[in-house]
Amino acid sequence: MKSANRELVDRLAAEYVLGTLRHRARRRFERWLLSPQVGAIVKAWEGRLAGLEPQLKPVSPPATVWRGIEDRLELRKSPRRPAVRWLAIAASVAFFVVAGILLTSQRPDIAVPPPLAVTKESALQADPQTIYWRVEILGDNQEINLRVQNVHELPAGKSHELWALPEGGGAPVSLGLLPQAGEQHRVLTAAQRAALAGSKQIAVSLEPAGGSPTGAPTGPVLLVAPVSQV
Amino acid sequence: MDRIDTLPPEIELAQLLQRCAAQDSAAFRTLYDKTSPILFARLLRMLRRRSVAEEALQDVYVRIWQRAAQYEVGRGRALAWMVTIARYCAIDLMRRERMTLVSDDSLAEIADDSTTETETIEKPNNFEHCIGKLNEQTRACLTLAFVEGRSHDEIARLTTNPLGSVKSWIRRGLLSLKECLSSERQSV
Repeated sequence: MKSANRELVDRLAAEYVLGTLRHRARRRFERWLLSPQVGAIVKAWEGRLAGLEPQLKPVSPPATVWRGIEDRLELRKSPRRPAVRWLAIAASVAFFVVAGILLTSQRPDIAVPPPLAVTKESALQADPQTIYWRVEILGDNQEINLRVQNVHELPAGKSHELWALPEGGGAPVSLGLLPQAGEQHRVLTAAQRAALAGSKQIAVSLEPAGGSPTGAPTGPVLLVAPVSQV
Repeated sequence: MDRIDTLPPEIELAQLLQRCAAQDSAAFRTLYDKTSPILFARLLRMLRRRSVAEEALQDVYVRIWQRAAQYEVGRGRALAWMVTIARYCAIDLMRRERMTLVSDDSLAEIADDSTTETETIEKPNNFEHCIGKLNEQTRACLTLAFVEGRSHDEIARLTTNPLGSVKSWIRRGLLSLKECLSSERQSV
């Protein structure tokens, strides 16, 4: 990096971490985080400015927050709330209908919400012959299915991370790590849903094991693919 | 578990994050119980509105669960890692909600923090010395930005200073802080 660029990046990184870099400038800078050098500069500023962290009196959040987290991550085994119970009833009805038709051997005692339909899909590929991951987006950007088609080479100590690329140049938003084998299903956060709703492309970057430490891509972008409506 | 209870809090949090990375939801609940009051207080400080802070807190913990594997155990500073996630979430939410200044804000509010018995964020060496070298106006601007998530415009209005001055104080303050911290580190 040239020294003039380095100075500019350092200044922007400082204001990014401080929080005064806003709106379009913040989103543009988040794109720069694709560079590991920029990522390291941001991390250094996070360390420096951590000194400004206040010591606040803890405030207990209401119990509804934890229940919301449990619901969003599907951590709860048995439904307790009326809304969930209602879903469970609907799911049971759906189950028996499906079971009657398919004669499958699923367990009727597990309450699963009705599955969402695949609404969008994408194939992450380097050339038309080789698709590495198939991505299916379910419902209103609520859930995502990730299926490995061909294994993409992964250096030791690295991870593949999936990003939504908002239209109009917004900052990439992480959709989590990509599996290296088989299939993975994930429930998306509100932020991820909003990002996907405004994205027509997704991308894969190479990140340190476990994913980007900054929340924005820090490694090289390996694949970019369009997302199409099903 | 006695063994866990006797560990320093920072190591305990790091271990809980490690277990979250392995999809241990019981560890996640413990982590939430131990840290959510700290992160909620931090979000309230930036977002002001309780309902918005509650929504943000959900986003933060969903992100922590999904990103737990990214936390490097050897690096320590588990709480700092989580607080950074919370701060960036709050800034993103402000961006989305186009939040505006709440009228009852005042500079006096930034100095009233009561200390807690919970884990605190580790400061860089000589941070107090270096921040102390900045003038009072610059310190106030940096604090309003970092602690409260205020924009340049909001800081200018809150401190009744020209926007240009606020921007240049912040820019120079950050530079001085960096130079002081790096020179102090070399001389230690």
